[in-house]
Amino acid sequence: MHYEYMNIRYFDKFIYFLMVLLIIFGLFLQFATIKSTDKLKTEEINQAEHYASKIAKLIQIRTENNIDEKLKDNPQFRERLNEVLQAFLTKQYQYIFVLQKDENGNYRFLLDGSEKDPEEYHTIFFPKSKLFDTVYSTQKMQIIEQHEGVEQIWLSLVYPIVNENKTEALLVLDLSESYGEHLNNFNSPLMTVVWMMQAFLLISLFLLVFLAYKYYKIHQDLIIDKLTSVYKKQYLEEFFNNKRVDNYHVMLIDIDEFKEINKKFGYEQGDIVLKQFAELLVATLASEAIVVRIGGTEFLVISPKEAGSVDEQAQTVFEVLKEKKYLIGNEVQHLTVSMSAMSVPAETMYIQHIERLLDEKLLEVKSRGKNGLGILDIKQLHEIRYTNIDYIREALDEERLVCLYQPICETQTKQIVKYEALVRLIDKDDPKKLIAPYYFMDVIKGTSQYIKMSKLVFQEIFSTLRTYDDVEISVNLDLDDLDNADMMKLITHNLYENREIANRVTFEILEAHEIKDYGKVMFYLQQLKAFGSKVALDDFGSGYASYNYLIRLEIDILKIDGSIIRELKHSPERTKAVLRSIQELAAVFQYEVVAERVSDKDIYEMLKELDIQFVQGFYLGKPRNIEAYLGKKE
Amino acid sequence: MYHSIFSALSSKATIYVYTNDKEYREVFSHSKRIFLTNELEEADIVLMTDKRSLRSILYRLKVSRNVSKKPILFVTDYHFLKMSDDIVGAFYWRKGRSQLLFIKKRLQAYDIILPKEYQSFMIDAL
Repeated sequence: MHYEYMNIRYFDKFIYFLMVLLIIFGLFLQFATIKSTDKLKTEEINQAEHYASKIAKLIQIRTENNIDEKLKDNPQFRERLNEVLQAFLTKQYQYIFVLQKDENGNYRFLLDGSEKDPEEYHTIFFPKSKLFDTVYSTQKMQIIEQHEGVEQIWLSLVYPIVNENKTEALLVLDLSESYGEHLNNFNSPLMTVVWMMQAFLLISLFLLVFLAYKYYKIHQDLIIDKLTSVYKKQYLEEFFNNKRVDNYHVMLIDIDEFKEINKKFGYEQGDIVLKQFAELLVATLASEAIVVRIGGTEFLVISPKEAGSVDEQAQTVFEVLKEKKYLIGNEVQHLTVSMSAMSVPAETMYIQHIERLLDEKLLEVKSRGKNGLGILDIKQLHEIRYTNIDYIREALDEERLVCLYQPICETQTKQIVKYEALVRLIDKDDPKKLIAPYYFMDVIKGTSQYIKMSKLVFQEIFSTLRTYDDVEISVNLDLDDLDNADMMKLITHNLYENREIANRVTFEILEAHEIKDYGKVMFYLQQLKAFGSKVALDDFGSGYASYNYLIRLEIDILKIDGSIIRELKHSPERTKAVLRSIQELAAVFQYEVVAERVSDKDIYEMLKELDIQFVQGFYLGKPRNIEAYLGKKE
Repeated sequence: MYHSIFSALSSKATIYVYTNDKEYREVFSHSKRIFLTNELEEADIVLMTDKRSLRSILYRLKVSRNVSKKPILFVTDYHFLKMSDDIVGAFYWRKGRSQLLFIKKRLQAYDIILPKEYQSFMIDAL
C-alpha cells in the first residue's frame, strides 16, 4: 500500500518532467537543423565574398585601376572582360556584372558576364535597392535579399571596386534562387526526420496528456468518495506524505443509529442524508481541514492546529452536527453523533496510532450511551508514544529495559524468600521514568519484539541470580508463551545454560483465556520443572484460574489473586473463610501459598493470623532495584 | 502594374489601350478603368510587346492620316525605346529585376507630367 502511494506521489512529477523533456527535445531538433542550414548558407556567402574580391581585383589589374577610361572606347576589351566574368558563372552565380553610376546618379552597365544577350555597355539599370547606393558611399560589401521577379534571385552580393578611396564601380554577384533552395534542401532528409520525430513527439505529448488526464481521473476515483465527495481512507497516507501529523487535530465522528434511518426511509434517502451530513461537516471546518470517510457512517477530520484548540473545534463540530435538521420526505430528523478528538502530540509519526486511540475513545463514548464527545487529555496523549511499536523497538534495541524486584516474604517473620521480577522500559528522554507493561505488552505480544524483550529479561534475571547466591526470583510467563516455539526455545535454552541455578527460578503462569489442552500445558510445565524450576499459578481465584487447574496441573505454588486479598478489608470474615479453604486445599496438594497485594498492616496481620505462608505487596516492599533490598537485608 | 503605369501616363477617367498581345489583352479585360480597343485611332495608349508589331504600328502612325490624335507609345523592351522617339517608356526585366523607365523629353512632347512616385524612373536620355 505504501509503495502504491509512493508511485502516486512521483507519477505526476514524472509525467510533467517527460512532457518538458519531449518539448525541449522537439525544439532542440528544430533549432539544430535550422542552425545547420544557416551555417551552410553563411559558408556559401563567405565563399561568394571571396570570389567577388578576386574578380574585383582582376578587373582592377586588367583595367590598370582606370576602369572608366579603359572600357569607354574599347568594345573588344569589354568583350574580353565579359568573357572573364563569364568564366566565373556557375550554377550558384546566376549573374555577374559591373555597374557604374553616371553623372545623374543612374546605374549603368560597364560589364556583364551573361552568356546569353549580355547587356550593352552603358545600358541603364535600376537596381531596386538603396543598398547599392550604400555600398557606393560606404565602400563596404553588402548582401541584398531579392524578393521580386520571375527569375528569382536568392541573394545579391554587391562588392565595391575602389581605387584611391573612390568607388569606381560595383561588382554584383547574383546567387541563384535555385542554389538557395539547393542549400535549403541540403538538410531536407534530416529535416524530414526532424518533422517525423516532431510529429511523433507531438503524438506522444498528446498521449501523455491523455494518460495524465486518465491518471488524474483514476486518482480522483481512488481518493474521493463518490457519495459524499469527501476523501477516502486511501488519501490519508498521501495527505501526510509531505505534512507533519503533529500539526493537526484529529476528530473521529460516527453517526449514531444511522441504520434506523436506512431502515425507516430506505437506503436512497439514507444516502441523501449522509451526503448532506458530509457537506455540513466540510462547511463547518476550516478550509485547510480535510474530511475522510473511513467507514459507512464514520468520518475522520484532520484539522490544522492554527484553526483553534481541539476542544473548541470539536465542540463546534459536535454542536453543529447535532443541531442540523434533515428533511426526509415530510419528516424532520435529527442525527446525533459520537465523537472522539485529540490534538496530535509532537513527534507523532503515524496517523494510524492516532486513529487507534480515537477509536478506543469513541468506544468509550459509545459505551456511555452515545451522543457524546470525548477528548483525549494531554497525559494520555503524552503516553501514546509508549504504545508506539517503533518507540518500543528503539527502547529494546538500545536495551533501555530494567527489572524491578518485589519481595515475597515469609509471613510470620517478614523474611524475604523470593523476589518477583517485573519488567519496565526506560523513558527515552527521562531515564528516571519507567514505563509499565500496561503500555507496551499488548502492542508487542506476538511480535519478534516480545521475544527480544524476553531474552533481555532472562539475561537480567540470570545475571542477578549469579551475582546473588541466596536469591530466588519468580518471573511471569504467559500461557501463550508455552505454546510459542521460539519462546520455549529461549526459555529452555536459558535454563540449560544456567542449569546449576535454574532451581532458583519460579515461573508464574498467567493466562488470559481458558486452557483447552491441559495435556499440552502440562508437557510444557514438565519441561520447565525438569531444570528444577518451580511453577506458580498466578492470580488464583480470579478469571480462568479456577479449581480445575488444581486438579489437572501439577504446580508448586498458588498465588492468591489480589482482588480476593483486598476483600479482607471489606468482608474480612467471608474472605478469611475462602482463604482458609484455599489454604487447606493447597495443603492437600502440598502447594505453597502466596497472598498477593498486601497493601497495609491490617491485611498483613489478618494473613499472619490465618497463617498464610507467604505474602507479597506494597506493605512488604514495592518493586525496586534488587540492590535496594539486598542492601536493606544486609 | 500596368494599370498604375497607364494611370500615371493618362489622366483620363477611361483609358483606351491598344495592344495585340493576347496575354496583355487578357490582363486588361478585367480592368474597370482601362479598356481595350482594336482601333488604333481610338487608343490613348499603345502597348507594344514585339518588335515586328511595333514597327508596323510606328509605320501606321507615321502614314495614316486617320489618326487624328497621337497615342502614347509604351513598350516592354529596353531596346524598343531606341526605335522611335515617340515611345515614352518601357517596363521590362533585367537580371531578375523589374525595370521601369520613362524618357523625360519624350514625356514632355506629350505634355505628360508623371506623379511623384514615378519621378525617380525618369531619365534624360538612353
